[in-house]
Amino acid sequence: MFNLILNENMKIFRQVSTYIMLGLLVVLVIAIAGFQAKPSMQPYTSEWKAELTQQNTDFQKTITETQAQRTVGEQTAAVFDQRIKTNNYRIEHNLPPQAKALWGFVTDLTGAVSIVSLFAIIIAAGIVAGEFNSGTIKLLLIRPLERWKILLSKYLTVLWFAFVSLILLFMTSFIVGGILYGFSGASQPYLAFKNGNVTEINILWHIFTTYAYACVNLLMMVTFAFMMSTVFRKSSIAVGVSIFLMFTGNALVSFLSQQGWVKYVLFANTNLMVYTDGVPVVKGMTMTFSLLVLTAYFIGFNVISWLVFSKRDVAA
Amino acid sequence: MKTKPVVQFKNIKKKIGKKMIIDDISFEVNAGEIFGFLGPNGAGKTTTIRMLFGLISITEGEILINGFSIKHDFEKAIESVGGIVENPEMYQYLTGYNNLVHYARMYGNITKERINEVVALVGLDQRVKDKVKTYSLGMRQRLGLAQALLHKPSLIVLDEPTNGLDPAGIHEFRAHLRMLAEKENIAIMVSSHQLSEMELMCDRIGIIQNGKLLDIQTVNDFLSKDEVVMRVTFTVDNVIKAKACLNQMFKEIETLEKETTISIMIDSSQIPEIISAFEREGVRISGIDKESKTLEEKFLEVTGGTGIA
Repeated sequence: MFNLILNENMKIFRQVSTYIMLGLLVVLVIAIAGFQAKPSMQPYTSEWKAELTQQNTDFQKTITETQAQRTVGEQTAAVFDQRIKTNNYRIEHNLPPQAKALWGFVTDLTGAVSIVSLFAIIIAAGIVAGEFNSGTIKLLLIRPLERWKILLSKYLTVLWFAFVSLILLFMTSFIVGGILYGFSGASQPYLAFKNGNVTEINILWHIFTTYAYACVNLLMMVTFAFMMSTVFRKSSIAVGVSIFLMFTGNALVSFLSQQGWVKYVLFANTNLMVYTDGVPVVKGMTMTFSLLVLTAYFIGFNVISWLVFSKRDVAA
Repeated sequence: MKTKPVVQFKNIKKKIGKKMIIDDISFEVNAGEIFGFLGPNGAGKTTTIRMLFGLISITEGEILINGFSIKHDFEKAIESVGGIVENPEMYQYLTGYNNLVHYARMYGNITKERINEVVALVGLDQRVKDKVKTYSLGMRQRLGLAQALLHKPSLIVLDEPTNGLDPAGIHEFRAHLRMLAEKENIAIMVSSHQLSEMELMCDRIGIIQNGKLLDIQTVNDFLSKDEVVMRVTFTVDNVIKAKACLNQMFKEIETLEKETTISIMIDSSQIPEIISAFEREGVRISGIDKESKTLEEKFLEVTGGTGIA
């Protein structure tokens, strides 16, 4: 199996298109850094405690004003409240804020995981269909290895590619962020707001969980693209349908949100973040429910890939 | 030479939809022999080869390789088979060498030395570090042969192997297959539409048409059945006189004339008679060519003249 994965990796990483994708990822991070670098770079001075106190007074004033006029909803008030509490925490614990810290940049770029998903979908769509397209499938399947082993090695290779891309995204955003804002902020704790209280959490853990949540969608879409690739043997169909669904999935769910069965739709369950910090698509949906639905889809996609691939008459 | 069957086809059938593509084919290929698989387009040659490789399912029957069933014991059965199905399609963006490394890894016990040995054997040493997309068709065939030999199989199956090779390459290739069959006692199964080539290459030939195996014969039997009748071509100074002469001698047999030649299908023992008849009529002969019936003509006879691939 290890040799098979080695083979699949060789096939991916000897193609120019793979490097173009990874290159684009790096370029994207640098471009975002370029846009962010200029504005709002007002550094906090040594007087930062006074500044934060002043800020809090302003926030408090805004809250009382808006509440009196009833112009702003509770949510906005909550945001200001959160800021105030965070500022107080900084003052109490002597943690100077940084205008735009290294970790802020890295956190911002967790959004680029969807770009990684896109590239992983392209790889997944090509890894089986490509062999059929070039006719190399024939020389691949006449080796002393059952077909499921070959399919599994391809699937694992796609996941490996996604993993490598995520590491690359993290490393580039860390390095670019560091160059931009200095690496001095690296040891700063991340202040999270939990159940109305400010808590310090390990920043790496925070970023890791953000990546992990984003990867749920990545994993499902990649598995879907892999299935399409195996069933239709055309990478264009696999890429097209997967990317279309990835971008319209959420819209589809909100469009169907009145239907009772919408909670069984894949895309209603891919954002697990709503269970820790937000509102689920349908009231009464829980983390456990979503995990069960996701598992069912995951198994379904893989079983279909496996059945089709191992039973298929190869007459390309 | 041992005659142990390496591969056995036992009452193979393949049905696609309602159509019987392969209908009850049985034959064996023995160690050390080159078996030719002959048939017009769409006869089922490639389908049979695909079933042997496990690329498509077998509707009924069994294919055994060294006693292992391709259906039920795939890994063990396929282990001792090497070959090419249709064109030798390789990874274009990899070098020839990396293509071989790729396939070598799938067996697990192939050393670098073995890869180099095979590369040298097919004469690809000069270009093996180049990407396959820069290769000519002939070089791809060589690389295809190299990947088929990597794991020292006891059966080699080649689909149209001489496609794209130049005459020197074909000659070399033929000698090579002979060597493999005789020295290493490998069973070789070749399908080809180059019938004249099969004649030179194979020990036995099986003819397949419309999914049925019509006939299996050794090449020698095949050609010598009624070898006395052959096409004889005379180069003469006066074709019209010669034609009149021949028409008189053999009333039922048609002649074929060209500018300076006339040919006729006759028993070779009749040639001296014709020569003296020509002399009598004052036809001067400057050349005589005998042409034994080729495999191709035989083939057309057996298959009833439907087009050849």
